[in-house]
Amino acid sequence: MIQKEIIGLRRKPQLWAAGAYIVVLICMLLPFVTVDGTAMSGFSLAMSLSSDAPALGFLYPLLAVLTVLLVACGVFLAMKPSVKGVRLWTVIGAVEMVTAVILLFASKMILDKSGLLPQVFLVKNFSVGYWLLLVVSFVGLYCAMEATKVSAGYIVLSVMSVIWLFPIVWIVLTSLRGEGGYYVGYFIPKTFTLNNYFNLFKEGSAIPFGKWWMNTFLVASVSCVLNTMIVLMTSYVLSRHRFSGRTLLMKAMMVIGMFPGFMSMIAVYNILKGMGIGQSLGALILVNVASSAMGYYICKGFMDTVPKALDEAALIDGATHFKIFYQIMIPMAKPIIIYQLMSAFLGPWGDYIFPSLLLGDKQSSYTVALGLKWLTDTQRIETYYTQFAAGAVMVSIPIVVLFSILQRYYVEGMSGAVKG
Amino acid sequence: MKTQLRGRRTPITIFVEGDIFTKLSFLVWGLSNMVRGQIVKGAIYLAMEVAFLYYMITSGLTNLANLATLGIHEQGMVFDETQGIYVVQQGDNSMLMLLYGVVAIVVVAMAIVVWMTSVYSGEEARQDKIHGRKVYGIVDDIISLFDTNIVRLFLCLPLLGILVFTVTPLIYMILMAFTNYDANHQPPGHLFTWVGLENFRAIMDASGQLGATFLPILAWTMVWAVCACFSCYFGGMFLAILINSKRIKLKKMWRTVFVLAMAIPSFISLLVINTMLGKNGIINVLLQNWGFTTEALPFLTDATWARVTIIIVNLWIGIPATMLMTSGILMNIPAEQYESAAIDGANPLQQFIKITFPYMLQVTTPYLITNFIGNINNFGVIYFLTGGGPNTLDYYKGAGKTDLLVTWLYKLTNDSNDYNLAATIGILIFIISAVFSMITYARAGISKNEEALQ
Repeated sequence: MIQKEIIGLRRKPQLWAAGAYIVVLICMLLPFVTVDGTAMSGFSLAMSLSSDAPALGFLYPLLAVLTVLLVACGVFLAMKPSVKGVRLWTVIGAVEMVTAVILLFASKMILDKSGLLPQVFLVKNFSVGYWLLLVVSFVGLYCAMEATKVSAGYIVLSVMSVIWLFPIVWIVLTSLRGEGGYYVGYFIPKTFTLNNYFNLFKEGSAIPFGKWWMNTFLVASVSCVLNTMIVLMTSYVLSRHRFSGRTLLMKAMMVIGMFPGFMSMIAVYNILKGMGIGQSLGALILVNVASSAMGYYICKGFMDTVPKALDEAALIDGATHFKIFYQIMIPMAKPIIIYQLMSAFLGPWGDYIFPSLLLGDKQSSYTVALGLKWLTDTQRIETYYTQFAAGAVMVSIPIVVLFSILQRYYVEGMSGAVKG
Repeated sequence: MKTQLRGRRTPITIFVEGDIFTKLSFLVWGLSNMVRGQIVKGAIYLAMEVAFLYYMITSGLTNLANLATLGIHEQGMVFDETQGIYVVQQGDNSMLMLLYGVVAIVVVAMAIVVWMTSVYSGEEARQDKIHGRKVYGIVDDIISLFDTNIVRLFLCLPLLGILVFTVTPLIYMILMAFTNYDANHQPPGHLFTWVGLENFRAIMDASGQLGATFLPILAWTMVWAVCACFSCYFGGMFLAILINSKRIKLKKMWRTVFVLAMAIPSFISLLVINTMLGKNGIINVLLQNWGFTTEALPFLTDATWARVTIIIVNLWIGIPATMLMTSGILMNIPAEQYESAAIDGANPLQQFIKITFPYMLQVTTPYLITNFIGNINNFGVIYFLTGGGPNTLDYYKGAGKTDLLVTWLYKLTNDSNDYNLAATIGILIFIISAVFSMITYARAGISKNEEALQ
C-alpha cells in the first residue's frame, strides 16, 4: 500500500472506514431476515426485489449496489487517496446509512407486499446481518468523516432534528389534511386542503376560533403593556432607592412566590366574583397584571448593572427622580423591556389553569389554550382533529415569528437571570 | 432631605416627646397635620379613619368574630314558635365567613400602616414648624411624589395588586389548611370549622389512605424533578456544545430547528404530542405499520410507560430551552483554555470534564435549582399529557400514578372540592420549595453582590 501524506486527509480513519465497509459487504451475505427458520441474505433479497418490486422495493437493490460501490471506492481510495474522493465516498456512505435506516421502517411494507416471506414481517424478524450492517455502517461513516475532518456531530444533529421536527411536521400536515378524523393509518395526507383553516374563521362555525384568538390577543397585549409598566416601576425603585422596609419587601415577595400559584386560585375567583367581574376577560387581565410586580427580579438585576453615576450626574443637574426614571433608566433598560414585554405577551397564550377556572363553560370568552384543549376532548377529537391542528398552527405562527425576531433579547434576559 | 428626619423615631418616642396635638393625633388621625397647616393631608387621614371605623362597626368586627367560629347555624329546617311551623333557616356560610374574616384582618393591617404614617407625618410637620422650616402643603406633597417620594408613587399600585390578589387569597388558603373544608363540609349546606393540625397528620399518616397517596406522589414528584431537571440540563448542554463546536457549519440553521420547537407554546406541543401518543395516535399507527409492534403501546395509559414517556417528552421541550441558555455561557469560556488543553493532548471528553463542565456548573447552579423547583411545580407537562392518569384505586379519590403534588392539588380543588387537603399540600410544596431556594440564595450570596454591581 502506498503511504502518502495528503493535507486534510487522515489515513488511519480512512483505512478503518474501508475495513468497516468490507464488513458491511459481508453483512449483506449473512442472514438478513429470518422468518420461521427460513433466512434470506441481503443480496438474495436484493436480487428477488430487483424486478417488479412494490413501492420502495428498490431500496434493497439500492443498498446492495451501494455496499459494493462503497467497498470498491474504499479499495480504490486506499490505493489512490484524495480529499475529494474521500468526500464523495463519505456522501455515498451517508446515503447507504440513510437507506439502511429507512429499511428499518419500510421493510414491513416492502416484504409483505412482495410475498417473499411465508408470513407477516415484523421488525424482530431482522437477523444478525441487518443489525450488524446498521452498526458497522455507522462506524464506517463516522470513520470516513473523521478522515476528512468533517464533524461526526452532523449525524447526531440530523437525527435530533428529525425527532424535533417530527411533531411539528405532523401537525402542519394534519392541518392541511383533506380527510377528517383523528385515526388515520398514514403520515402524509391523501388530499390537501386549506378548508380546515377557513372553517376556523367561518361565520357561525361550531367553534368560534377567531373569537378565541382575538380574546387571547387582547388579553395578551393589554396584560403585557401593564405588566411591563408595573415591573419597570417596581424594579426601578428597588434597584435605585434605599427606603426602610426595602429588603423586607424583597424577602416577602420571594417567600410569597414560593407558594404554588394556583393554590389560591379559588380565593381569587371568589374575590373577583365579589367584585362582580367573574367570567370576563377584564378579570383575566386584572389577575395577570395584579401580581406582576412579583416578577421584578430579572429586570432589577439588569437595572443594578446600569451605572449609578448616570443618576447622580442627572441629580446634580437638577433632574427629578421621575425624570431620571423615564429619561435615563428606560432608554438604558431597552433590552430588558423588550424581554419583559415579550415574556408577558407570551404568558397568556399558554395560560390554561386560571382561565379554565374563571371562564368555566362561557365559550365565547375562551382563550386559545382553553379552546384547543376543549377540542381534544374525547367526544370532539374525532370530528375536529384537523381543525384542532389548524388552530394549533394559527396560534404558533405569530408566536414563532415574534420569538425568532426577538430571540436575542430573550436569551439575554434569560442568561441575565442565570447570572443573578 | 426631609425623609431623613424620621431617624430612629418610634411611635412611643413621638408620643412622649410630642405636644398635646401630637398626642391627640394618635386617636384623631391627621390632627397634628391639620394644626400645623397641612389641612388637606390631615383631612385625608381623618377621612380614612372615619371610613375604617365605619367599616369596623358595620361589618369588620362581626367578620373578625365570625372567624373564631366559622358559623354556628347550619342550614336546615327550624321550628318557628310564633308561626307554629318549620321554616328554612338560611344558615351560615363558613366559606364566606372565612374570606370576609381574612379581608377584615387585611383591612386592619392596612389601617395600622395608615395610622403609623399619619403619626410620622404629623410628627414631621411638627418638627418642621419648630425648626422654622417650610411646612409642605398638599401641592408640594404631590410634586414630591415625582421626586423624593417616588418610591411611594411607584410602589402603591404594584403593592395594592399583590395585597388584594396574592396576599389575601394566600392567607385565606393557608387558614383553610387548618379547617375541615372538604367534600363533606360544603357551604352553604354545611358548616366547616377549625381542626388544627389534623389535615397535616392525616396526610403524613402512612397507614391511612391519604398518607398512602401522599407519600408515593411525593416520591414520584421528587424522582420526576430530578430526572427532568438533569436530563434537560445535560441534554441541552450537549446540544449547545455540539452546535457551537468549531467543525459544525450552518450553526444558525441547526439552532433554528430547535428554537422552533421551543417557540411553540408548550401547551400546544403537549396537546399535539398527547394526541400523537394515544392508542390511535400517529405514533402507535406508524409503529404498527412499520412492524415494530403488533398492538398499540400504552404510552400514557400504563403507569411505568407513562412516567418514562413524560420524562422523554419533557426532553423535547426542555432541551432547546437549556441549549439556548447555555450557548451564551459557553462562549464566555476563554478559548485559550481549550487550546492549551488540546496541546497537552486532552481529548474532547477530558476537555468537557475538566474545563467546560466545572465552569458551567458554577455559573448555572442557581438556574439548576430554580429549574428543579420549577419542575416540582411543573403543572403543564403532566396535565396536558396524562392528566395525572392512569388512575388507581390505591390512591385517594381520583389521584393517578403520574400525578405530581401540584396536579393532585389541582384535582383536589377542582374535582373533589377537598380544599383543606389542597391547602395543606400547597403549604407542604411551599416548604419543599423554600428549603431548596434557601440553598440557592445562601450559595449565590445575592444580597452581598447587590451593591457591588453598581
